[in-house]
Amino acid sequence: MIFASHEGVSSGGSVKHPAAGNGSFPATLDELPQPLTPEQLAAEWDEEQPPHAGPLANVAAAVTSAALGIAGLAMSVAMGLGTPAKPEPGLWPFIISLVMVAMSVALLAFGRRKLDAEAFSSSSWQVAAGVGTLVGFVLVVGVAGFEIPALLLTFIWLRFLGKETWRMSVLLSFAVTAAFYLIFVVALNVPIPHLF
Amino acid sequence: MDFLAPVINGFGVVLEPTNLLYCLIGVLIGMLIGVLPGLGPAATIAILLPLTYGVEPVTAIIMLSGIFYGAQYGGTITSVLLRLPGEASSVVTVFDGYALARQGKAGTALGIAAIGSFFGGTVSIIGLTLLAPVVAGFALDFGPPEYTALAMLGILLVATVSNGSKVKSIIAASLGLLLATVGRDTFTGETRFTFDNLSLADGLDFVPIAMGIFGLGEILYNLEERHNKVQAPAKVANVWPSAKDLKDSSAAVGRGSVLGFFLGILPGGGATIASLAAYAMEKKRAKNPERFGRGAVEGIAAPESANNAAATSSFIPLLTLGIPANATMAIIFGALLIQGVTPGPQLVQNDPELFWGVVNSMYIGNILLLIMSIPLVGIFVKILRVRAAILAPITVLITLIGVYTINNSLFDIWLVIAFGVLGYLMKKFGFEPGPLVLAFVLGSLLEENLRRSLLLFGGDPSGFVGRPISAVLLLVFLVVMLLPLLQKAFKKTRATAPAVTALHDEKERV
Amino acid sequence: MTILIGYLPTPEGEAALDAGIAEGQLRGENIVILNSPRKGAPVDAALASAEQVNELLRRAEVAGVLATIRQPGHTDDLTDEFIDVADEIDATLIVIGLRRRSQVGKFILGSHAQRILLQADRPVLAVKAQEKS
Repeated sequence: MIFASHEGVSSGGSVKHPAAGNGSFPATLDELPQPLTPEQLAAEWDEEQPPHAGPLANVAAAVTSAALGIAGLAMSVAMGLGTPAKPEPGLWPFIISLVMVAMSVALLAFGRRKLDAEAFSSSSWQVAAGVGTLVGFVLVVGVAGFEIPALLLTFIWLRFLGKETWRMSVLLSFAVTAAFYLIFVVALNVPIPHLF
Repeated sequence: MDFLAPVINGFGVVLEPTNLLYCLIGVLIGMLIGVLPGLGPAATIAILLPLTYGVEPVTAIIMLSGIFYGAQYGGTITSVLLRLPGEASSVVTVFDGYALARQGKAGTALGIAAIGSFFGGTVSIIGLTLLAPVVAGFALDFGPPEYTALAMLGILLVATVSNGSKVKSIIAASLGLLLATVGRDTFTGETRFTFDNLSLADGLDFVPIAMGIFGLGEILYNLEERHNKVQAPAKVANVWPSAKDLKDSSAAVGRGSVLGFFLGILPGGGATIASLAAYAMEKKRAKNPERFGRGAVEGIAAPESANNAAATSSFIPLLTLGIPANATMAIIFGALLIQGVTPGPQLVQNDPELFWGVVNSMYIGNILLLIMSIPLVGIFVKILRVRAAILAPITVLITLIGVYTINNSLFDIWLVIAFGVLGYLMKKFGFEPGPLVLAFVLGSLLEENLRRSLLLFGGDPSGFVGRPISAVLLLVFLVVMLLPLLQKAFKKTRATAPAVTALHDEKERV
Repeated sequence: MTILIGYLPTPEGEAALDAGIAEGQLRGENIVILNSPRKGAPVDAALASAEQVNELLRRAEVAGVLATIRQPGHTDDLTDEFIDVADEIDATLIVIGLRRRSQVGKFILGSHAQRILLQADRPVLAVKAQEKS
């Protein structure tokens, strides 16, 4: 029995290498390097990606961009189109918005079969949380300087998004904030709002 | 000879200590992010744009371009040692590079890759040196109609030739063009799309958009769990390429360099396509193609030469015509605009120090990379042990604080966040961010030239066809636009491996 | 009837493996080797490579002990992962290696060994690395 050994580790799964029982041992344990084919690698990487979103994703995207395009059309007309001889501000945005709407329709019509979007998963909430911290950062930085929001942001990203231990998160967030302070405020003398 | 004088002056510019230092920093950072999965050269250049504000234009571009071609070297390291391409352009190196590593010949693979990269880059720079002034001279006669056609063609090529759905890329490009119209109309003074917001009255700044879409967008995208395999640390046995290996790969290097040079000039082409094409070409013309995938040195030499050659030659359209060939060039275009330099045919004549300074810095950069890439492999593999979760907040803070330092404006940070979310959503839904940024950067130029052309023709669009150059460009535009339909009509089955392009689709990151 | 061994490619991990194999021989039990890297980085030194895995299994065979190896990645807590696997296979014994750390070192970096010792509800054998003579 030849062992199939793996160089990498799949997340969450486990690779069991059972030895033969009762005294009969396999002849060799080594594996010859298999030639990699593009198909194998592509399949491997495809496994690692989040699942593809359904056709609804492309529909949603098409509807959104169509809406943007139509809004663009409306606002361009309001600005005045003029003629090619005497173009007014609205002419160019009008042309672009038209292209946008046309392409959105094409996406709606033909794009439903393509599975090139990624599905949102539970870990997508982490992205939302990340954006939340960024918003918090901007709201606080003007008032209280960058040190505190930077500290909090780093801590949250390390502990909750990165799943580091409490100790590591606290230590690293202080270290990072201190480093930023030394580099931006002390060394480079950059005019960011700071407390100390 | 008179035409060599500015070239030699360029070397004088490069050898100034500041420029040498920034070149070194650039290629080091480039190699580093080439090794690290997650951030690509486009994202890094975008995030580091604030750094360019305090230095001379030459120095800034030397550093930024160093990052770009340095990343091509770095991506190879993880391909060979870990079967994990650091960059999309290093995907094909995985096949033979990793196979060699498993045979204990990682040093051979890395050595061949480094030498191939060096030659590819150098050949490309020489080509650049000879070709650029010719193209620039030719383009000096361009008027607004030619520029309009050229800009449109450039945007279309990047939207269609790049990865992903063409329809989506065109939508992204249209959005970019629309964003470029926000603000005051230069011709009439009217404000467009500003929603009575004062901060928008001057138009959207390029830097927050680039930093948001490429930088923050990529960081947010990486926050999601992608089940990436963990690898054991790889040991690099120092088996250098033998003389035979070098001889066997020399022809492949030559072919790859030339192929890469031409594929890089084409807008929408670039390092990734060049590496794929070079690999396919080598496999096709090899006497025993079964060697490929098991450690054939040509399988490393050709793509590595090609991707470096392409990365370098993609500067040509930017520096000579003012048309960026891909998203990264678009960001560098923006960086030049910030510095008050408008890239175009007149750049070679009006600012030869800048032009030749940048071009010649690439020679130096390639030499630095060749010297450093092998000894630093050990360090880079150690750096790979740093968890992404630790790097993420650091890059985020660099981005947020960095954008603030440009204008001391909180509004800029809001812009970065907004465009970061947009960039994330675009990636999730399969829209390429590159065409958007490219279209944004070219947008105001395109509109200006279009309206000037219309004024020239008295409002008659057929004037475009009347002028030979713009007519040809518009014809190419139509052909490129209709090509997919034509292809479907003829139903040609291409011989190029469909699986290799599927692989390319998986790992696309400019 | 299984023994769970926590393995790292370090002297402590090697000591744990040796002790675990010896126990397996003594008791006539199977062993499960747990080698769990931390997810999040492309490379983790804690992961045993394919060659190392082969070597470990060979050593078990030579001693006549039935061995399996698991290499799941963990994101959050190695201790929890460990205890979960121990519960799953209903291990009769857990074998881990101990690093010599100063008090300060243990405080700052934490100690999985300590937590496993305290939290496991089955016997734990903690071994030290061989002294280098």
